[in-house]
Amino acid sequence: MILYKRKSSPRQSLKVRLRNEPYLLINIFFAGVILLIIAYSGIFSPEKNNYPVTCIHEKITREPCFSCGLSHSFSLIVRGRINEAYLWNLCGMRVFLFFASQLILRVTFSIFYLKYPVTRKQLIIIDCIGSGLIFLISFWPFIVNIISGISRPTP
Amino acid sequence: MEDVKNNTGQNLGIAALITAIITFVFAVIPCVGLIAIIPGIIAIVLASIGLSQAAKNNSPRGMLIAGLIIAIIASLISVSQIFVAGKIALKADKWKGDIHIQNIIKDIQDNVVKDLEDANISIKVESNGEKVEINTNSDKKDREQKLEDLEGGNIQKDDTLQKKK
Repeated sequence: MILYKRKSSPRQSLKVRLRNEPYLLINIFFAGVILLIIAYSGIFSPEKNNYPVTCIHEKITREPCFSCGLSHSFSLIVRGRINEAYLWNLCGMRVFLFFASQLILRVTFSIFYLKYPVTRKQLIIIDCIGSGLIFLISFWPFIVNIISGISRPTP
Repeated sequence: MEDVKNNTGQNLGIAALITAIITFVFAVIPCVGLIAIIPGIIAIVLASIGLSQAAKNNSPRGMLIAGLIIAIIASLISVSQIFVAGKIALKADKWKGDIHIQNIIKDIQDNVVKDLEDANISIKVESNGEKVEINTNSDKKDREQKLEDLEGGNIQKDDTLQKKK
């Protein structure tokens, strides 16, 4: 009797592969989230001012916070109006570049991960350190804002 | 004998890590920082359940621990946004709203009007070697004096009509 090995469908094999490779799954998820953010910036227009996400700080204190105008800024960057984007939020470009760089890095690192299985461990370490540094550089003004908020609490 | 790798809690670990990292990014942004506490708590719960499952089946716990630590830090950052909100509120109180701004604008307006009243205007025009200079003094007192001079002694103090007898 000849036993034939049952061939799995490409969809099934991809599912099994992703289950065994959590790094790839995480990369796909993050790339999806970043694409959603870019789509959000593209769908909602700064002229109509129809952004569903509103600032909680502004609602509570009636004063604009440090990150107010970030959605406007993102929308204007997506539309190529960089100068206007700076007027809405000075940190808008930094944060947008962080998300854009992460999208590129997720794709690049996933390709390297599949292409060079021997260096996977080093690749993940480089990714963690690199992404952490990019995060710190991009969000530094926000981090400083939080630290100053904690160090000088309200009386 | 070959070691069989048990992956119990691995899926929960991936979910916890993804949620924790996304929470961490959003917790730093003040506008959405306070809401980020919700996914932060979800990530902590996922990581805790995964850790308990992994402990029972002796499976790897690296990703679960990483997810738990990042989720706790992200939640702490999210909570710290309350202090930032407090700081903004304090700033708003110091300004006391629009009244303060209105007073500043009124002061500036008064100063500008006063300066214009006492202004000396000098216009010099030079064309083909010819020079023309016009000097105007718009001092309020000077203008009042000039008006009195023009009126001279023909000032009718009482301009009411006399009743015919």
